[in-house]
Amino acid sequence: MSGDTEKTAELNTKDARIGVFVCHCGSNIAGLLDCAGLAEYASGLPNVVFTKNNLYTCSEAGIAEIMNAIKEHGLTRVVVASCSPRTHMPLFKSACAEAGLNQYLFEMANIRDQCSWVHAQDRDLAMVKAEDLIRMAVAKARFLEPAEDIESSLVRRAVVIGGGVAGLSAAGALADMGMEVILVERQAELGGLLRRINRIGPGGEKASELVGTLVAEFKSKPRAKALLESEVSAVSGVVGNYEVTIRDKSGELQTETVGCIVVATGALPFTPEGLYGYNGKNVITQIELEEKLRDGTLDAKRVVMIQCVGARSPERTYCSRICCQTAIKNALYIKELNPEAYVHILYRDIQMYGTDNERTLWDSRGKGVHYDVYDVGRPPVVKDGVVEVYQPLLGEVEQIPFDLLVLSTPLVAPEDAQEVANLMRIPVDQNRFYLEAHAKLRPLDFATDGVFLCGTARYPATVGEAQAQGLGAASRAATVLFKDKLVASALISQVTERCDGCGACVELCPYHALSLEEYEQDGQKLKRNKVDKMLCKGCGVCAATCPKGGVVVCGFTRTQLQAQVDAALEAA
Amino acid sequence: MNRDVLVIGGGIAGMQASLDLGEMGFQVHLVERLPSIGGKMSQLDKTFPTNDCAL
Amino acid sequence: MDVGRHPKIRLLAYSEIEKIDGEMGNFHITVRKKARYVDEKKCTGCGTCAEKCPTVTSDAYNLGLGKAKAIYKYFAQGIPSAYTINANVCRQLQGKKCGVCAKVCQAGAIDYKQQEQIIEFDVGAIIVATGYDLFDATKIPEYGYGRLPNVVTALEFERFLSASGPTHGHVYRRSDLALMDALPEAEKSQQKAAKGLEQLEKKGGMSSADFYAKYEAGELQGEEYDKWAEQVKVSRAATEKLEAMKAKVDQIEGAHRLAFIQCVGSRDIRFNKYCSGFCCMHAVKEAIIGLEHDRDAEVYIFGMDIRAVGKNFEEYRNRGAGSGIKFIRSRVAEIYEDKDHTPILVYEDTKERQVKQLPVDLVILATACQPSEGIVKMAATVGIETNDFGFIKTASYPPLSTSRPGVFVCGCAVSPMDIPESVAQASSAAARAAQVLSGSETERLAS
Repeated sequence: MSGDTEKTAELNTKDARIGVFVCHCGSNIAGLLDCAGLAEYASGLPNVVFTKNNLYTCSEAGIAEIMNAIKEHGLTRVVVASCSPRTHMPLFKSACAEAGLNQYLFEMANIRDQCSWVHAQDRDLAMVKAEDLIRMAVAKARFLEPAEDIESSLVRRAVVIGGGVAGLSAAGALADMGMEVILVERQAELGGLLRRINRIGPGGEKASELVGTLVAEFKSKPRAKALLESEVSAVSGVVGNYEVTIRDKSGELQTETVGCIVVATGALPFTPEGLYGYNGKNVITQIELEEKLRDGTLDAKRVVMIQCVGARSPERTYCSRICCQTAIKNALYIKELNPEAYVHILYRDIQMYGTDNERTLWDSRGKGVHYDVYDVGRPPVVKDGVVEVYQPLLGEVEQIPFDLLVLSTPLVAPEDAQEVANLMRIPVDQNRFYLEAHAKLRPLDFATDGVFLCGTARYPATVGEAQAQGLGAASRAATVLFKDKLVASALISQVTERCDGCGACVELCPYHALSLEEYEQDGQKLKRNKVDKMLCKGCGVCAATCPKGGVVVCGFTRTQLQAQVDAALEAA
Repeated sequence: MNRDVLVIGGGIAGMQASLDLGEMGFQVHLVERLPSIGGKMSQLDKTFPTNDCAL
Repeated sequence: MDVGRHPKIRLLAYSEIEKIDGEMGNFHITVRKKARYVDEKKCTGCGTCAEKCPTVTSDAYNLGLGKAKAIYKYFAQGIPSAYTINANVCRQLQGKKCGVCAKVCQAGAIDYKQQEQIIEFDVGAIIVATGYDLFDATKIPEYGYGRLPNVVTALEFERFLSASGPTHGHVYRRSDLALMDALPEAEKSQQKAAKGLEQLEKKGGMSSADFYAKYEAGELQGEEYDKWAEQVKVSRAATEKLEAMKAKVDQIEGAHRLAFIQCVGSRDIRFNKYCSGFCCMHAVKEAIIGLEHDRDAEVYIFGMDIRAVGKNFEEYRNRGAGSGIKFIRSRVAEIYEDKDHTPILVYEDTKERQVKQLPVDLVILATACQPSEGIVKMAATVGIETNDFGFIKTASYPPLSTSRPGVFVCGCAVSPMDIPESVAQASSAAARAAQVLSGSETERLAS
């Protein structure tokens, strides 16, 4: 067949030639359903010219059958009745494409996850449902239209927002991998919180040395550039082509075009005003203790520390992960400076997770650090120079005098976390930490393509963890930036002539893919909807909103869905 | 400089590392001791804190 | 799935690293691909072979809680989806006659003569992601694991909770499961005995009840009648036994009282001094799901500290407490059982300063996450060092480097960690590898 004839054949709905493949999926489907029967049923449906049932359609043999059938029988539509599209749809689509059939002329009926797997109790009804599903898929398939994937170029550059340990890690790795990186840092120096702390656990290295190393390495990379005392003021665009506007301290704006953005904006230690007599003098926070230790200005002989101050509470429900490690690290350092010092840690749970931490905990006990648990219902009370705490193990209240009381407080998200989030349309969670795409499987991604997350901006993390996450975010960004071009699905919204520019859908688009454009017709200035093809995800909110049919989603048009519904109701 | 990578172990960490490197365009050789990949995670029913199905 | 289909990932499953030569940028790898005795390219994963295989063995994936055949798929959705023959139990491969799987395989994928393959290739960088193994709880005899049927490990409990597991998601006491498992055998015995009686009844021309009455009265004597009488006794005993078992099985409810014991083999001076990181959260999760399966369940978690340190973990733990999980700060001293196999915990409640005993239905031990069994050998083969915890040794800067340049490590091979951390670290290791392959690692090491 010549190219033109093929095109006409593909577009032809009335004389569509549909092939239906019913999969056994081993015994996953065939264990309950009569697949040969289903194939036979399909052969009686309008426009179905070929049917086959096979053991595993996704196997090499199954794919070969699809491709052969397309060629030998001149199929112009393919329906596979098997598992969920999420499992093998891309595989089947590429099989169609390889055989010369446009990959968007392919439809699936899920007779496994939505049928055999969930209706094991009633074989007869399950068979009826499977027939319904196949009939509906075939009905829709007739009205499918060919389409092409949407390609776009990308810029092999990245912006990293935040020059602390995570940001420096990410930027350095990206530069190493050959990308041009711009690091935007709001302060006058790089290093973030590392500049304020004394030593890094568990090895005890000086934080200032690590800062030195990281900054020197960063500066040695020709592809990496840092903009200090600068902030990101606006972001627009889409993965592959983000326009990032950066404002420096004098207010000057510059815009960079990048392919990806890494968010490494960090977090800040909480100052517990009003809690436990905090006064910044003899009742201080761990970060203030770090600064004293770093500057050599500590002279206390009796130090008491209280964990979970302002954390694991109704206002801040989370555990800040690093405060137990920090407290014990500092306790050990105090003992190192003065072995006679009395150090007493009051805790709810000692969160020394993993290998090195637990060992440090045991070492600290060996070195004479005192530990006592307190009940959240009866927290310690601080009077003048004395901590009063109820001891569950003794059943008594103990009085512990102190020279210095150190309160371990959580890291909290910066005040403007939501504003920064809004710039890039990324979400924050209930604690104002950025919300990743998937808590378990995509901890460094956002649902928004091309934007990645690392370090304490995501959640409290140690120096080592933040560094590793920075590398991880660089890797995630590299999976985009290493590509020659970006490819997006064609199943997105399309504006029709019925659009009258009312704009109702524009507001509702969760991906901000819609805008109104002006145009002239017959001397009149009119408005209509415009879809950004790379931003649109084909969610359908616009199509569902529009009362005029002014915007439709390819692959889910009114005609196609109507055909499915009609087919569903047919047998009823 | 050979631009292939060997990943030893086909559990969740090995799979993720392989996918990242594969997406970057490097050729990955993933070696797994057991007859299939998936590791300990494939033996879990659901995972915390989302209670998602482990597979 | 994504891994199996990715054009840039070559999957060598059922394989081990034999040798690694060379250096960063140019490693020469030798892999030994073990013989499955199944042609991966031909096998469609249909499962007919396993259905017909006559050899039943224990199921490694379900930790021995279920049964598998000599030819098996590790788990249903496994990738690659090809089957494997366990040469240690397969009759054909042990020299006895069988060959059933080859006969029924429609794809002609069985190959008893398959040999191991040696595969060699070159790479620029290596990532070690070999995971972990679990502590053997029999080493703590006072907990009774291996001796008391209703003491199980967390991973075993995971299989109980799973809809695709050996109990299809129903949580029973293991002693009750054993009862249910024994029922078919008892039924068979009873049926066999009854059949035997039928024969004799036909021959004797009267019912066994009538016969036995006469026999007891001394009216019928002789060897044949003695045999019949014997058979009657056997049959009656089998029936009684079956009825008793059925009555017990009818009374079986699920395991309502669950006790989770943390730090089994962790934070323990006798075994692993370190903390296994994820087990606190794992127990909370299993407890929450246990409560979902059975709203009336009584659930206890015994721990020293509850380490909910990750994102959303504390909120998840609070949700658990809200659902009814009772957290008890204690290290359980001992578990014994009563005559019904009910496990009884002996522990000190540190909040109330009392030693208490608690009977439950099922005890779940959170066993420690340990370095993989073969880690010493693997580390030697790969040429990297282990640390004094037995995991792979890494430097603190730059992250994830091992003692051999160009070889990186991630996940539980480094230290116990949960899934988000393993996934994040995996990406980190990928970045390190990419740094090598882009030449910059050579520069850094040279400077």
